Amino acid sequence: MSDTLQIMSDALPILFEGLLITLKIAAISLVIAFVIGLAAGLMSTARSRIIRGLAGIYVDIIRGTPLLVQVFFIYFGLPEFFDTRIDPEVAGIVAVSLNAGAYIAEVVRAGINSVDKGQVEAARSLGMNRFYTMRLIVLPQALRRMIPALVNQFIISIKDTALLSVIGIRELTQSGEIIISTNFRSFEIWGMVGVFYFLLILPLSRLSLLLERRLNLR
Amino acid sequence: MITVQNLKKQFGSNVVLKDISTTIREKEVVCVIGPSGSGKSTFLRCLNLLEDVTSGKVDIAGVEVTDPKTNIDKLREDVGMVFQRFNLFPHLTVLQNIMLAPKYIKKMDKAANEKKAMELLAKVGLAEKRDEYPDRLSGGQQQRVAIARALAMNPRVMLFDEPTSALDPEMVGEVLQVMKDLAHEGITMIVVTHEMGFAREVADRVLFMDGGYIVEEGTPAVIFDAPKHERTQAFLSKVL
Ligand SMILES: Nc1ncnc2c1ncn2[C@@H]1O[C@H](COP(=O)(O)OP(=O)(O)O)[C@@H](O)[C@H]1O
Ligand SMILES: [Mg+2]
Repeated sequence: MSDTLQIMSDALPILFEGLLITLKIAAISLVIAFVIGLAAGLMSTARSRIIRGLAGIYVDIIRGTPLLVQVFFIYFGLPEFFDTRIDPEVAGIVAVSLNAGAYIAEVVRAGINSVDKGQVEAARSLGMNRFYTMRLIVLPQALRRMIPALVNQFIISIKDTALLSVIGIRELTQSGEIIISTNFRSFEIWGMVGVFYFLLILPLSRLSLLLERRLNLR
Repeated sequence: MITVQNLKKQFGSNVVLKDISTTIREKEVVCVIGPSGSGKSTFLRCLNLLEDVTSGKVDIAGVEVTDPKTNIDKLREDVGMVFQRFNLFPHLTVLQNIMLAPKYIKKMDKAANEKKAMELLAKVGLAEKRDEYPDRLSGGQQQRVAIARALAMNPRVMLFDEPTSALDPEMVGEVLQVMKDLAHEGITMIVVTHEMGFAREVADRVLFMDGGYIVEEGTPAVIFDAPKHERTQAFLSKVL
């Protein structure tokens, strides 16, 4: 028992470092994913069939393939083809960003489509162009409705970063594996890793609830 | 002020407006009546190109609306529209609803914009609601705000598409009163309505539409008391 406490306190700093890397990769990826998702979501509501088609192909490819394969393709496949090397963290960020971006694009598209057409007509009839109508009328209403789905995707993507352990990034999960490979204490370490993920994600779910309530009250 | 020549509009193979021609003079108040599905809304929406026109010509204040080279956003500043379902912006307060378009399109100075917006709100009798959100207002109040919002752009023409049809009966009067006031101020108005009392009292001219045509037009006295066309008679006997 006292042994367990020792194991855990030894693991703590290493896992904490891993947590910071998970946090960093998740934060960067989600910011990029949001930008990609917003762009692709807007594209999927464009008038041009070609632009809509491009967004559709992107979303279909990402949704139709496992994240693990996407990670391997970006980390091993592309560099081999171009005869170069790529930093695992960069590859990981690219993979998670592209992956989350596609799902966010769908959230954005649904959010935009959920805004009543009468809103657009009212804005256009006042003389607002497409850009102002989107920015001032449609997106503010769409974003509010998107928050729960958006946070849900953020949570999924944070957990998905655990997969990046397979390309050797020393994020939280990989840190756990490294510790266990030396001390063989699966129970304590995977328990701790789980608690760390949980503590990372809990505030986000809470924030989502809070935002939803705020915005419902306006 | 507005000239419509051989306007035709079809959705797919469904020809909704077959051949509409009419002229609306400055300061004229024209009411459009007719059975549901006869193309009244489509007609209004073709005037500010919320629907693109299949063929024919629309000219507003010397600007050819149907010319592809026309800056349609610019034209719409001059053509206010009020919808059956109000379409206020729910994420903005009453005052913000009114000030939004002048702020971003006319780049109007904030103080002047707010002063103008408050004058308009006072005119529609809702000055005390300036900081409310639309969902806190009754239907009649929302529609009056929508009218103020359209007026904020100083339009030369106002289009109303059944502005009282979505309202509880007790709120119809307050909206019609605002519209009467506007008519008396000399704003050019085209009003699609089922309120025959309003049309009779306020309109300079009434258009009766049916089956994608203007079947008959004339002063309210002529249309309501001595309609010539059989279909006008049949329609009026049902609604009066
Ligand atoms: N966006 C649209 N797409 C297809 N058909 C439409 C559309 N808008 C209106 N219509 C059709 O045009 C006809 C006339 O509609 P509308 O102008 O709304 O009539 P009204 O306002 O006189 O009731 C109806 O048969 C309707 O189904
Ligand atoms: Mg209609």
